[in-house]
Amino acid sequence: MRDKRMVLFGFVRGAAAIALALAVGTIFIFLSSDEPFTALKYLLIGPFVSFHGGVTAFNTQNFYQVLAAMIPTIFTGLAVCVMFSANQFNLAAEGCVLVGGFVGALVGIYVNMATGWHAVICVLAATVVCGLIMLIPSILKVKLGASEMVTSLMLNFVLLYIVLHFLNYHFADRSKGATMTYPFLDSAKISSIVPGNSKLTWGFVIALVISFVIWVFMYRTRWGYAIRMIGINESFSLYSGMNVGGTIVLSSVIGGMLSGMGGSLEVLGRYNTFVWRELPGYGWTGVTIAILAKNNPGLVPLAAFFLAYLNKGCQLMSTHSDVPSEMIDIIQAAIFLFFAAEQFLSGYRQKLVVKTTREELMKAESLKATEGE
Amino acid sequence: MEANEFVVRMEKITKIYPNGIAANRDVDFAIRKGEIHALIGENGAGKSTLMKILFGLEQPTDGTIYLNDERVTLSSPLEAISKGIGMVHQHFMLVPSLTVAENIVLGMAPTKGGLFIDYKEAVRLTREYSEKYNLFVEPDARVADIAVGMKQKVEILKALVRGAQVLILDEPTAVLTTQETVELFQELKNLKEQGFTIVFISHKLKEIKELTDRITIMRAGRSVGVYDTDTISEQEISRLMVGRDVVLRMDKPESVPGERVLCVEDLHYINEWDKKMLDGISFSVRQGEIVGIAGVEGNGQRELVDILFGLKVPDSGDAMIDGQSLIGLPQARIRTLGVSYVPEDRMTFGVAQTANIQENMVSDRFSQKRFNKGPLFNMKSLYDESDKLIMDYAVLCKSRSQEVGMLSGGNIQKVVVAREFSSDPILIIADQPTRGIDVGATELIRNKLVELSRAGAAVLLVSADLNEVMELSDNLIVMYNGQIAGYFDDGQWDDVMMGEYMLGLKRQSDEEIRRACHA
Repeated sequence: MRDKRMVLFGFVRGAAAIALALAVGTIFIFLSSDEPFTALKYLLIGPFVSFHGGVTAFNTQNFYQVLAAMIPTIFTGLAVCVMFSANQFNLAAEGCVLVGGFVGALVGIYVNMATGWHAVICVLAATVVCGLIMLIPSILKVKLGASEMVTSLMLNFVLLYIVLHFLNYHFADRSKGATMTYPFLDSAKISSIVPGNSKLTWGFVIALVISFVIWVFMYRTRWGYAIRMIGINESFSLYSGMNVGGTIVLSSVIGGMLSGMGGSLEVLGRYNTFVWRELPGYGWTGVTIAILAKNNPGLVPLAAFFLAYLNKGCQLMSTHSDVPSEMIDIIQAAIFLFFAAEQFLSGYRQKLVVKTTREELMKAESLKATEGE
Repeated sequence: MEANEFVVRMEKITKIYPNGIAANRDVDFAIRKGEIHALIGENGAGKSTLMKILFGLEQPTDGTIYLNDERVTLSSPLEAISKGIGMVHQHFMLVPSLTVAENIVLGMAPTKGGLFIDYKEAVRLTREYSEKYNLFVEPDARVADIAVGMKQKVEILKALVRGAQVLILDEPTAVLTTQETVELFQELKNLKEQGFTIVFISHKLKEIKELTDRITIMRAGRSVGVYDTDTISEQEISRLMVGRDVVLRMDKPESVPGERVLCVEDLHYINEWDKKMLDGISFSVRQGEIVGIAGVEGNGQRELVDILFGLKVPDSGDAMIDGQSLIGLPQARIRTLGVSYVPEDRMTFGVAQTANIQENMVSDRFSQKRFNKGPLFNMKSLYDESDKLIMDYAVLCKSRSQEVGMLSGGNIQKVVVAREFSSDPILIIADQPTRGIDVGATELIRNKLVELSRAGAAVLLVSADLNEVMELSDNLIVMYNGQIAGYFDDGQWDDVMMGEYMLGLKRQSDEEIRRACHA
């Protein structure tokens, strides 16, 4: 009975957080807009439905764009899931996406191989490099006890400026007005799986497959098990005889690999040259996704879809109405707040616990009485 | 007796924790104005819970509290403080990087213009109270730099500055040196003369006899009596404290001890407050026997067990399993030597609360070949293993995928024990294996312990439950003050005698104690 109530509580809490966040968003829309209903229409159903020329129809291209936007965030979401599962507040997924994109781009430009394997090599190179990068914060944590949150956060900027340095001084295409690399070879590009300009590439399929693989890793292998147990209770894991330090490093390296993979798939799928000049922000989105998915890799695509949908809705809303697109930040922040706040609805939870305990005590008492104690 | 003499009256206090443990059952507790009142009882007897309720840290499930005959609800420490109740915790609640004066005014600091802390005023206030109550502290010293005794004075001053009339001291002498204890007693007597009321929680009979006016003795969540200190002997207190509610009889087959499995040699350990916790402990545990360690909590048992399971490193001495030293080994190695461990703190070391039963059952063996197929888990063998353990140990649950934290205390302990007992251990260290759990689970765990020892395992049983050590042990060690106070191998022991050794009233000769080594 306890279990059912708690599971139900989880759903109620999740739904309430999203509903409240949207409600907060709606309040802001009504405050800031002269045409709130148009705005809401685009926000909520815009990504699905096209209103072009007064005809309402399913909007395929918009929908593909929503799916395409999920590619990098599924990867960072998974990366953060794996690291958070080990109770590591490692935020370097952000920097790893950037480095992954850059390394993928370089291999795509300078390694000349005209086969289908080129793209694979690009992505693998990015994956390996970013896995190695994550050794830095995790080994510092395990060996010296340095807070991985601080080191990884700082590491993002170190990585950003290293990439900018190499981009500016070594790999920039001087014939262009803006700072960018030479174009990737065609063999390195990740091709689309649908017609049109939506950038919905094979990366999306890979993202879904990897989500499943990571779910299997976390729930069906000894390493994933150790990661989860350490995250739940490090003392317990240590005492059970697990290699706590090694597992923490492992979880971070996997987080780095996933971020690097996501970054390279995004860059090689969406652009023709490497153009990022600042942190792309997918790592932060990954944190939101991991929290929404409660660190369950299986739920990451769902959470990524929710955010991508919301993002697209906000974008449409700002194009078609007078509401600024910054609204999405308010709504995202609100969701984040409600989910991250452990105490949210805790009074309700406590009531459930007390109720269940009382019932169990009564049952135990009556059991005792019938036994004639 | 006139009711209005009592500054605090707690009536029929019952406290049931959400995990189903009943820490207090219909406890009546009353303190007269201006007395020093001792609250004594074994660990887990419910003293701390009762005092936490009085200090507003816990809410009673049932019962009423009267302060000066006025019925009150104390929903937070803030409220308790505002009603004149102060508590000095065993572990100090001070900010080490701030000065004494800053700590004392923390949260109620005098300000200049309502914005900046008036540090001079804080120092003045500290001096004033310090002189008024003869509690000498150095207002400008950083708390990190001062001695334990002074930290305690800072804690007491903190309470007094906040207007406490009733002071609760939770085992104040546990961390003090003898000299500091003498000083503290003088100060407390002084406070009493100035009209303060003091609740003094302790295990130490001599101190209680010396300091207090009246005693409330608690056992197993109930109050077993209130006495004037000078009308009751130490022996009698010890009997009431550890006396047995139900005489438990275990029918266990005769033990046939074999080779020595665990050898502990002259262990010394000094804790971070420079207190000698282990002072030359030597004993051994042989195959097929249960060696019990009895003693009042805080006499070195905790440190001994931590050292044996690699959580602490002793200052000197050795501990060996089958001739191999385990000092400094990681837990994984100690486990492969064949040691399993039922931890006292099952929520921290025993289980991962939000993981399910199956996951908790295999935490020590999940990487073994039989549970893996290549890189993947062999889920079927994992499920079979946990289902078998759930059956064998009668874990009451809906399924193996139920969250462990949702089980009752007894069933959580069954999960721990099932895992620890099923790994073919040659040595089982069971630390308070049945504390706070129901009768059924207790019986099952005790039977399993006997069963395993008779099958050849060496068992070291540490328990504050005297009943348990006395009935289960083949041989019995009593620890007092970091030393072995007595070793008994004749099965001829009773609670009165144990109480005397546990509370330091008696001690065996060195020769008698040396027998514990079976050398």
